[in-house]
Amino acid sequence: MDIVQKKKIGLIVIILAIALSIPLFVTKPYYIHVITMCLLWAYLASSWNLFCGFAGQLSLGHGIFTAVGAYVTIMLFNDFNISPWIGMFAGGAAAVLLSTLIGYPTFKLRGAYYALATVAIGSGVMVLIENTMTLGPFHVGGAEGLIVRLMGNAPAYLQFMSKVPYYYLALAMLVIVVVFSYWLKNSRLGFYLSALKEDEDAAAALGINVRNAKLVAAAYSAFFTAIGGVFYAMLIRYLEPMAIAGPMMSNEMVFLAVVGGSGTVFGPVVGGITLHAISEVIQFYFSDMAQGLHLFIYGLIVVFVIMFKPQGIIDILQKYYNRFLGISDRGEDESSVS
Amino acid sequence: MIFLVDFLSAVVNGISMGAIYGLIALGLTLIFGIMRIINFAHGALLMLSMMVGYWIWKFSGVNPYLMIIVVAPIMFCFGYFVQRVFIKPVLDAQKDVREPIAVLLLTAALAIVFENLALMVFGADYVMAKTTVTDATIALGGITVSAARFYALILALVIAYAFYLFLQHTELGRRLRACGQDRNTALLMGIDGPKTFAIAFGIGTALLTVAAIVLLPFYYVHPTVGNVFMTKAFIVVVLGGLGSVPGALLGGIIIGLIESIGAQYMTATLTTVVVYLVFLLILFVKPSGLFGSRLEW
Amino acid sequence: MLLFRGRYTKLVGLILVATMMMSFVVGCGGGSESGSDKVETIKIGNILPLSGSAAPLGKIGQQARDMAVEEINAAGGIKSMGGAKIEMIYADSKGDPATGVSEAERLITHEQVALITGCYQSGVAMPSTEVAERYGVPYFVPVPSEDQITERGFKYVFRLAEKTSWRNRDQVKFIKEMSEKFGTPVKTVALIYENTSWGQGAVRAWEKYIPEAGLEIVLKEPYPSNSSDLTPVVLKCKNLNPDIIMLVSYVSDAALLTNTFAEHQVKPIAFIGTSGGFADPQYFELTGDNCEYYFDISTWEPDVNRPFSAETNKKFTEKYGYAMNAEAVKAYVAMYIIADALERAGSTDPEALRKAFAETKITEGPTQMYASEIVFDETGQMVNAPLVICQMRKVDGKMQRVTVWPEEEARPGFEVVWPYPGVGQ
Repeated sequence: MDIVQKKKIGLIVIILAIALSIPLFVTKPYYIHVITMCLLWAYLASSWNLFCGFAGQLSLGHGIFTAVGAYVTIMLFNDFNISPWIGMFAGGAAAVLLSTLIGYPTFKLRGAYYALATVAIGSGVMVLIENTMTLGPFHVGGAEGLIVRLMGNAPAYLQFMSKVPYYYLALAMLVIVVVFSYWLKNSRLGFYLSALKEDEDAAAALGINVRNAKLVAAAYSAFFTAIGGVFYAMLIRYLEPMAIAGPMMSNEMVFLAVVGGSGTVFGPVVGGITLHAISEVIQFYFSDMAQGLHLFIYGLIVVFVIMFKPQGIIDILQKYYNRFLGISDRGEDESSVS
Repeated sequence: MIFLVDFLSAVVNGISMGAIYGLIALGLTLIFGIMRIINFAHGALLMLSMMVGYWIWKFSGVNPYLMIIVVAPIMFCFGYFVQRVFIKPVLDAQKDVREPIAVLLLTAALAIVFENLALMVFGADYVMAKTTVTDATIALGGITVSAARFYALILALVIAYAFYLFLQHTELGRRLRACGQDRNTALLMGIDGPKTFAIAFGIGTALLTVAAIVLLPFYYVHPTVGNVFMTKAFIVVVLGGLGSVPGALLGGIIIGLIESIGAQYMTATLTTVVVYLVFLLILFVKPSGLFGSRLEW
Repeated sequence: MLLFRGRYTKLVGLILVATMMMSFVVGCGGGSESGSDKVETIKIGNILPLSGSAAPLGKIGQQARDMAVEEINAAGGIKSMGGAKIEMIYADSKGDPATGVSEAERLITHEQVALITGCYQSGVAMPSTEVAERYGVPYFVPVPSEDQITERGFKYVFRLAEKTSWRNRDQVKFIKEMSEKFGTPVKTVALIYENTSWGQGAVRAWEKYIPEAGLEIVLKEPYPSNSSDLTPVVLKCKNLNPDIIMLVSYVSDAALLTNTFAEHQVKPIAFIGTSGGFADPQYFELTGDNCEYYFDISTWEPDVNRPFSAETNKKFTEKYGYAMNAEAVKAYVAMYIIADALERAGSTDPEALRKAFAETKITEGPTQMYASEIVFDETGQMVNAPLVICQMRKVDGKMQRVTVWPEEEARPGFEVVWPYPGVGQ
């Protein structure tokens, strides 16, 4: 194996080693919580990216999948005592079903129309949840929200007293979604997606079944997003429709993925971790000064990043990465240029 | 069963509120139609217009309706400025990208900036510009109608018509429409693209200002007030058809009527779902809306 | 243009990398500075909505707390701990439960507060109190009224506010009493409520108490709390012509409803609000004369006949430019209850504090402006709900909240105006 590949592997090993050992150095639960949230948001942004980034579609209603995943799993747990470890697959399946149902009518919409459709669907689902107290044998809670039945420390039920298991869980989830993204991007489906991202009509003319490609990618995205919702539910242990299905959730995923670099494998990861860390740090230092100051600063930061790097932060890091690997920006191995 | 009087009241109210939605959507359809930008800062701009209008009223006591003459140009300049400084660079960088997502996110981020700027500068309190028009009612053959909303309806119709004439018969209006129809050809024809876009954004914001002033007498002002109207404005724009002035107004009235009359037969929260369903139906069946052309982009 | 971007690329990249590393360093190395176990200051964490649509509520909560803490510290602080002063640390919940949770975590594990208070919204209170319970840190809840907050078997959560359902219970009681006193038969009730947890919680209580009193609910109308127009709701209600219209609203929708009811000349036997928006100082500004003769229920009014009430309100008004409302009073009084618990505990040890809270029995001092006795039951719920009903009346040209019920608390010289003038026309 050549030197570039060795460097890549070395880098991955080092990053993983650091990530795995963080809880050994960082002891304060609050910091573990913050880092876990950063990882969770990186995961959610990556899940969004699986479909929206790779296929170039703007879904502003992805909150429905976190909501469906969370609610289905928690309802099965609260009312039927099914462990979330198992229930999460039901939640994921429900999300896939929802995504496919929505996909059929919405995928023939282009650009902004598709985005607006997702906004409408997202808001609609949120309002529906807010107005539903019970659904058959399940208690949904409506706008009052759904409390996750507390069991103290119950690993079999995905509840831990310590923050550390959540951290490792989030880390594992992030690694899985990144590996999956990499696989998807380089698979045949991935090529179809980037083709239709570029020009849907041309792709169709080449014989690609655009609708099916979108449906499959959207299903993957929905599944992963739903699992993220389950994790959120188990971490916060309280589901409020506005928070888990609302615009805050949906928009945040998009922000993070795009600012990080949508359509790339690591872009959403970088965006998720960096931006969420920044928002926590700003809240930490500024939130007790003037009302709203911390959000103002956060907004300004996002504005400037978008203005100066619309391709995402990953673009900057890419340069340093290439330099580290010894590859020129044109993708050639510098050491072998004659 | 609902009495006829109350039904008619609901109808009139629906049309009035709908006209206001249409007015808000007017600016949006211009921006959306010409520049293909989903302007997520539209709600925040409405809020800023309301804030400026409110504070000028507070200090000068001048009737809000007259203030339109002062506030509209101010907000026009602000809109122009925002487009030139913030949006243009990003739009240019994404010139060849099919879906300029970054612009959309930029406007969303700007909305956060504006909202919290307003929070810091103007404070969190809910305020209202109470004038003689507030609480006044007009009796229209047995139906009581809120005066402020009725005037809003009249003003909305007048402005919409004036704007329509502007687009059809003035040089600037023609330029705007040309950019909307085919950006590249318009540029080839010698139209100054960037300047036209900036003007479009400025006009869109100025139109918002009219809606803002019209809302002042009976609606509260608060940093997050824009969010209430924004999604509805987008729905109206799509319903009416991109870039269509009569479409925006008609679409707004339709939504207003659905809300108003629908609420008589189901809860207000469910009418929201109905509005979204209608919206989705339009998207699936005729995305170009009532008056839009069949052009996709 | 190209040059411009090139120059900034490196800078932005550097800033971002630096930020990432800084947050990391803050995470790992920041532990050294905290550990101030000097008992010179006692840190208390406060979670409030300081931004977002509930920002005005967060602001007044902060102001009330600050005023109380100033007084407590000026009077010598916590004497059993050597005159230690209280230090308030505020955290913005943004009205979002997840933020509330992470702020609770931060306050407990990083700021190492002795206890937490907050947080206005029941939706934020539910999960953030759970965080405190898990860490065994006392969480004092002055304002959120969602019943379930003290119904989960938690040991570290104490609540001053009355439960939502108690307000509804007393509203119904008031209706029956007034209806008998004035000889106006009351049969039908319309419920109009904002559609979040607060409103829905109220409806559950109403659905219990209203039929029990022999009344009939003819309308249950939820509305989205950030509606742009509530005329449809008003018209629907008008059409049904109920005897009583009961409302649960935040300030902007309360004002919108009141103004719209006035516009359309809706005149039931009585309008009854459920605190919240109706008790907000801005409600009068937004509604002018339209709210005259409305009833509202709360635990405190500016004119209640309780010790310390008038002076404290006067001081607050002079300091901040507007009067207190019941929520502000709860926040204010809460600090005194906390100070009292700290005194008896003699330390910031969580278990000692918890025990002190549980054993609270205050019958003197500024807390009397809220209730004559502060006692918590075994679920951490304050048992006395000093609920009073006021009517909005014009006094010397200015709209005021005049306490009219129960009789012991009523403002002398004012008769209840029942039914609503012009009813049925």
